[in-house]
Amino acid sequence: MTDGMMAIAILLPLLAGLVIFLVRDYYARNVVVVVTALTLIANSILFVVKGPFTYTPTGFNWGLVIEVLDYAILIFYLYLGFTLRNWLVLIFAVTQLIPLAYFEFVMKAHVEVAPAFVVDNLAIIMCLVISIVGSLICIYALRYMYDHEQHAHVEKSRQSRFLLWLVLFLGAMNGLVFANNLVWLYFFWEVTTMCSFMLISHDKTELAIKNAARALWMNSTGGTAFIIAIIYLYVTQGGASALSMQNIIGGTLQGSILLLPVALLCYTGCTKAAQMPFQSWLLGAMVAPTPVSALLHSSTMVKAGVYLVLRLAPAYAGTYVSTAVAIVGAFTFFGTSALAISQSTGKRVLAYSTIANLGLIIACAGINTPLSIAAAILLIIFHAISKGMLFLCAGTIEHLIWSRDIEDMEGLAAKAPLTTLITALGILSMFLPPFGMLLGKWIALEAAYRIPLAAVLFVLASTMTIVFWTKWLGRLLQVLPKLGWPFEKLSLSYSVPLWTLLVGIFVVGIGVAPIYQNFVASAAHNVISGTQIFASGWDNMSLSGTSVKGLLGYFPVWALYAVFAIAVLLPLIFVGLKPTQLRPVYMCGEQSGAMDADEYMAEADTKTKVILGGYYFQDSLGEKTLNPVVNTIAILLLVIMIGCGVILK
Amino acid sequence: MMRQLILLIATIVVAPFIGGLLFGIDRRITARLQGRFGPPILQPFYDFLKLIGKERIAVSRLQFVWIYAYLVFMVGSLLCLVFQSDFLILVFLLGFAGVSLVLAGFSTKSPYSHFGANRELLQIMAYEPVLLLLAIGIYAQNGTFLISEIFNQSRPLIFSLWPLFIAVLYVLTIKMRKSPFDIATSHHAHQEIVKGVITEFSGPYYALYQLAEWYEIVLVLGIVALFWTNPLWVGILIALAAFLLELLIDNIAARMTAPWMVRLSWTVGLILGVLNIAYIYFTKGVS
Repeated sequence: MTDGMMAIAILLPLLAGLVIFLVRDYYARNVVVVVTALTLIANSILFVVKGPFTYTPTGFNWGLVIEVLDYAILIFYLYLGFTLRNWLVLIFAVTQLIPLAYFEFVMKAHVEVAPAFVVDNLAIIMCLVISIVGSLICIYALRYMYDHEQHAHVEKSRQSRFLLWLVLFLGAMNGLVFANNLVWLYFFWEVTTMCSFMLISHDKTELAIKNAARALWMNSTGGTAFIIAIIYLYVTQGGASALSMQNIIGGTLQGSILLLPVALLCYTGCTKAAQMPFQSWLLGAMVAPTPVSALLHSSTMVKAGVYLVLRLAPAYAGTYVSTAVAIVGAFTFFGTSALAISQSTGKRVLAYSTIANLGLIIACAGINTPLSIAAAILLIIFHAISKGMLFLCAGTIEHLIWSRDIEDMEGLAAKAPLTTLITALGILSMFLPPFGMLLGKWIALEAAYRIPLAAVLFVLASTMTIVFWTKWLGRLLQVLPKLGWPFEKLSLSYSVPLWTLLVGIFVVGIGVAPIYQNFVASAAHNVISGTQIFASGWDNMSLSGTSVKGLLGYFPVWALYAVFAIAVLLPLIFVGLKPTQLRPVYMCGEQSGAMDADEYMAEADTKTKVILGGYYFQDSLGEKTLNPVVNTIAILLLVIMIGCGVILK
Repeated sequence: MMRQLILLIATIVVAPFIGGLLFGIDRRITARLQGRFGPPILQPFYDFLKLIGKERIAVSRLQFVWIYAYLVFMVGSLLCLVFQSDFLILVFLLGFAGVSLVLAGFSTKSPYSHFGANRELLQIMAYEPVLLLLAIGIYAQNGTFLISEIFNQSRPLIFSLWPLFIAVLYVLTIKMRKSPFDIATSHHAHQEIVKGVITEFSGPYYALYQLAEWYEIVLVLGIVALFWTNPLWVGILIALAAFLLELLIDNIAARMTAPWMVRLSWTVGLILGVLNIAYIYFTKGVS
């Protein structure tokens, strides 16, 4: 049973990807993708039913396979470095290749870690997020890529190649969250980096290749730190047992020399989670077709980064590294929220908001109390659903108006009411009580006082979050007093993922209390107590020393729902409050006549169109002004974080 | 349960009367300060009754939804205070009420309403961090965000949180839309005829907005009163004194620009808040 489940979770996406690549027929390919998606979703639910277990594959020398593939990937990077003439890609491919070769050939390290995979509650939650949200995005991509190529007039379709990497990504992510052997974890880590390169560079434009190369080298610095951490652990802790994740976080190793490799791994996590100063690779990744952004931002790639930092939380608990991780995350939350205000491109706002939320999650890991770990896990779930949906909305809007600019989305509510409705609900779910993101923030603030600086940064950042979301929502909803808004028709491949995710937001938001008690609390317990994964299972367990359970038993959550329900339901009852008449707006009595005209009579009675826009504060919050400052601070913070690992043992 | 139900209904019914009365007093005192006679104290209620009976005319189909949300979230926020629930949730709900008003302004293509909405958004940016810092200050002092815990403490908050108290007075000026911070809109033809974010509200919708404002004034004065809860009448006196102080400031100050407001709030307000929290953190430690 476990053989099959693991094989489906990790190998099926690879197999399906190859089939998709070979099958050139549009409909046959769609069937394969849909079947794979449904199988992955069903399989992830099976993991929940089965509960935690450990697993080591037998009957085949998988270690050797992974070793060979590791070299294949790194040599591919070398090749890319040469052909793209990108020295940074080349350098960081070499810095990974040489230590790896040294480790395996000179040191002749035989890394056999048992168990190779540990499927605990945190990994199961990650698997659910990856399989469900990721699969829906793959389904969305079917139609999106078709439209994308139609619009760009591509002669030779490259959709199958695109879908190969998209589907393979899910398998690599599943492997990554299950892996217990650090060398295997490293392999899956590199597969996700490679997939992201292939997907970002998909359109083959100059900009796409440039940005993909940036993503590659930035993540390769993380990969380099990863290898150094592996070798350091192997040498100082004496052998392969130190390369078991469970041993690292379980406290069975020598604590004093453990801190440096853990700090390095946190750095690796920060590169993949695009924390400042690495945010530029994720922003550059926006050139890719929107399903790529949706996938990178919600369920894969960046979530691998926060997963690693979160997973390692017990290994650095109670040290200065922990405080440094919290400040690094909180500062990213603050800096990118400020930058998001100055952005007028929808996808860039989403990207900055993603980085900000990842910063919040990493900060929660750094605060390192049971409560904050639980907040981090909740945020991972909520963020994946909301952000996945928002990116799909952004893609749908783009294919309706062929623009990504927020100013061009003015009055979308009248042109495409259905898409606008879903987008608006998605945006509201990012900051409106009682949706999940806000609950996560609430718990995070509750936990944050342990590190007051983090708490203050949270406060400032969450205020700015409100500003940029409201601005965007305001543009969408700005309408003329026109009557009759017919709902637009969306392709099934668009509407099914959108509706599913929308339902998901409501289900997870409303069901947060049971989800918290049955899933998140035990997963948080797994994270904290490391090895004791079989102690709890999925039962209701309280976390020692906190009032987590009491927290949700308190009045607030249900009060929030009450307010929310009144706000939603009463207007339906009081339809009587609906306006009986619509009139044009006030323009000092100089309107040009018609009800739905947005023109006024200027000098000499010439009709002049009213043009309104949002505030973007380019001077004070623009990238040019802020980037040098925040990036410098962020680099310093990262240096301090690793420095804490070296000096303060 | 019965007691709570009565409290719920009492809050919803009584609060607007207090709020309306305060606005009536405001108009009268302001008039006297300006050398006018001023309207009757009950004038806000007469206005309300007249407005609510008018025809429902709007400039956009979305507008009424957001005005309605403004009212509901404001009442929800006030209920959080009355039921002594979580202070952080109170701030979140109050924040979203503000967002609803901004969205009501944005949901038309009216230049005036748009300016007002953008400025209202800046006001949120100015006061929200101060209120959240107050929440953290309360947490630092009591170890919880629960308002009920504030009532359990015998030592009033103002002794340990007086810098935040000053910052909250600043928020009060913004929330009451008084000079120098009457940036998004102002009261009774204070500085202008076209009324910013509420330019496009009329008839019953404008009445709803006023109702929400009455709840809001009770809520923010209630937050001020939290600084002295034992005995509560001292806190209420402090809140009323703060109210009168705002009226005085309103009449001696001129409107300033929105960026100036945000800058002042993000420097003075935040420094006061951060120093306050840092002081408690280093003297009390983590509870």
